[in-house]
Amino acid sequence: MKARWLLLLFAWALQGQEIYDLLLKNGHVLDPANHRDGQFDVAVIGNKIARVGHDFAAAHARVVVDASRYYVTPGLIDIHTHFDWQGADLNLHPDAEALTNGVTTAVDAGSSGWKNFEAFKSTVIDHSKTRLLAFLNIVGAGMYGPKVENDVNEMDVDAAAAMVRKHRDVIVGIKTAHFQPPTWDAVDRAVKAAAASGTIVMVDFSPKPGREYSDLILKHLRPGDIHTHFYGRLTPQLDANKRIQPYVLEARKRGVLFDVGHGNGSFWFRIAVPAVQQGFLPDTISTDIHVRSIMLPRANMTTTMSKFLNIGMTLEQVIERSTVNPARVIRRPELGTLSEGAVADIAVLELEQGKFAFLDSGHGKLIGDRRLRCVLTVRNGAVVWDTEGLSLTDWMKAGPYSNFR
Amino acid sequence: MQKTGLFFLFAGLLQGQTYDLLLKGGRVIDPANQIDRVADVAIAGNRIARVSDGIAASDARKTVDVSGLIVTPGLVDLHAHVFGYEGALFPDDTSLIAGTTTVVDAGGSGWRSFDDFRAKIIKRAQTRVLVLINIVGHGMLGPRYENDTGDMDPKATAEKIKQNRDVIVGIKTAHFGGKGWTAIQRAVEAGKLADVPVMVDDHIFTNSGRNTREKLLDYLRPGDMHTHMYNDRQIELIDRFSGKVQPYMWEARKRGVLFDLGHGAGSFLWPVATKAMAQGFVPDTISTDLHGTSIMFQQSDMPNCISKMMSLGMSLEDAILRSTVNPARNIHRYPELGTLSSGAVADVAVLAEREGVFAMKDAWKNKKLVTKKIECVLTVRNGKIVFDQEGRAFPLWNTAGEYEVIP
Repeated sequence: MKARWLLLLFAWALQGQEIYDLLLKNGHVLDPANHRDGQFDVAVIGNKIARVGHDFAAAHARVVVDASRYYVTPGLIDIHTHFDWQGADLNLHPDAEALTNGVTTAVDAGSSGWKNFEAFKSTVIDHSKTRLLAFLNIVGAGMYGPKVENDVNEMDVDAAAAMVRKHRDVIVGIKTAHFQPPTWDAVDRAVKAAAASGTIVMVDFSPKPGREYSDLILKHLRPGDIHTHFYGRLTPQLDANKRIQPYVLEARKRGVLFDVGHGNGSFWFRIAVPAVQQGFLPDTISTDIHVRSIMLPRANMTTTMSKFLNIGMTLEQVIERSTVNPARVIRRPELGTLSEGAVADIAVLELEQGKFAFLDSGHGKLIGDRRLRCVLTVRNGAVVWDTEGLSLTDWMKAGPYSNFR
Repeated sequence: MQKTGLFFLFAGLLQGQTYDLLLKGGRVIDPANQIDRVADVAIAGNRIARVSDGIAASDARKTVDVSGLIVTPGLVDLHAHVFGYEGALFPDDTSLIAGTTTVVDAGGSGWRSFDDFRAKIIKRAQTRVLVLINIVGHGMLGPRYENDTGDMDPKATAEKIKQNRDVIVGIKTAHFGGKGWTAIQRAVEAGKLADVPVMVDDHIFTNSGRNTREKLLDYLRPGDMHTHMYNDRQIELIDRFSGKVQPYMWEARKRGVLFDLGHGAGSFLWPVATKAMAQGFVPDTISTDLHGTSIMFQQSDMPNCISKMMSLGMSLEDAILRSTVNPARNIHRYPELGTLSSGAVADVAVLAEREGVFAMKDAWKNKKLVTKKIECVLTVRNGKIVFDQEGRAFPLWNTAGEYEVIP
């Protein structure tokens, strides 16, 4: 008993000696992994979360951010993106789209395959501030159009698995997409490559005669594998009365995961609204952000999250499915939390109240009353986005602007 | 001949009373036509049909209520980076959503890399991409290339311009870290050969053998552009002891040398801009130098640059002039671009003037709190709605039936 008190005293004394590099004061912390939901201070030292608690001394911090008007969450994780902007068609620049929306970890969903992944890595991944991970396309040449994406001979299981093993720090699984021939080759080879490399599969699927959606999620995918574009029009997830199909419920029970992957064609209010109202929530919220989906549908992370917020999900559910869930799905449980000792990836979000419009993939409009906006992003301990200037100095107090600086 | 054709085209449309898109009830600011009043903008196909009062919604296939908003020609960003440069950004998701329908890539490509640029970016982008071609053959690939005077070939550069006049509008020289005037001289020489203007981003340093005064008065021609005008490197802009804009800056302006903002991540400083604006040394053109770095803290997109200039006393109408007509004119694309004239390509920005407290940040990440901000709400490019933040142009999902993609 006495020892415990001493320990606490020691911890308290230690805290008094710490200098914080960054202190986010009084934000509403939502950290589902640690069951935190309330007002806390978050202190960062170096590139790590040092401490989450109450009444940390502002005087002990180099930079103090008043987060009292905002939610403070783990850096968001978007597991369906297209950020090979130096290579594949339609791809976007990761930092400009991810960090500005609170996304500190983005997973590129199959823009590259085993033949061009290393080019993607050296030209984009290694230079981006965003933590950029990847699903490797089962197509060796990657997402470079129907000619290669429909070619079964491009789908070399061993070569793909070898590339995953070589870059296990960056590659989290295998992607298959856009495969038109009415066979199971693409899905089955993707699953094989994933099994051989101890990873998971993300599938973009279109049913064909003899290739049923129910077989995909009940037979071909394994527990832990992901069907993306769940609220799209290609797969029969609802029956004629807009009820969730029994095989979808059964697949979820099996452990198959359902991802949003909003994109330019894969998010429709007439599917998402009834599904969510029946309680069929996505396991992970993701954007499928690319050149087209970003324009009218605004498929960035905060807008996609806001859509779910306005069709019946709670803020807590939305944050959970944008942080801790995707981290666990890609088997990176060290991400998506504000645990002490974790890498300091943090999103500071404003929950705006008012009247806001959201467009789906068909440009149908939903009017909502809440919208998430990212005001500040911390990546690896550094403030990288600060639209309200919360961490910045007023220019009148910034001292002389030396011409010789 | 062309004008007559257009006249008949529009006469025909008027008889049919059919517009494809009608932007109704906004405050139209079209400096080229001295318009600043509430009016309707009708679009037929990819062209502006007319700007007028009381055009009936029944005359248009799609009518968008833009009352309370500001309708301007699509913004023309004279200095952006969409190719070649390390921080180049694809323009649609970064510029088009900000009301910028035309970006001018400032030197990302040179004559060696331009064809690649054209195939990979210019053809694919919905944004109109024009080009200031780098005098360096390899383009803006870093000091190793940009300091190599051996790769600054005026003839090859001029040749590439002549073959691509539809897209290349001038020449850029930037980041030259060598001594002397070679880079600027070669750029101007190429400019003379191809009869196009030159934009200069000059890195003047101790013992560079260059100074801004000579550059502006002796080396640049009238119509050439000095970008990054509020850069801290330009210690010549404001005299450090008197705090006055240097007399030769005024003289250069009188000569016809043009001054461009080129905000970027290093070239807009609150004290410099504040002093210069207080003395009336205004940018001819507002431009962003938007790239991977400046889009982050500085958020140097066109609406933010306009907002910053407004906080320094520029009126909205004047800021629009310097973001539409002036840049178009300075690259010799006026009145083809930068207006809402009948027959012009239908590139339109719909902007909102927001009130509140906003932080506007300069190149050194220092903020200025302001109470007004311009934001883009909707963008029309080539007659099509490409961005619509408030969903003004589209129906409610639950009343629209089993819709396909609604145009």
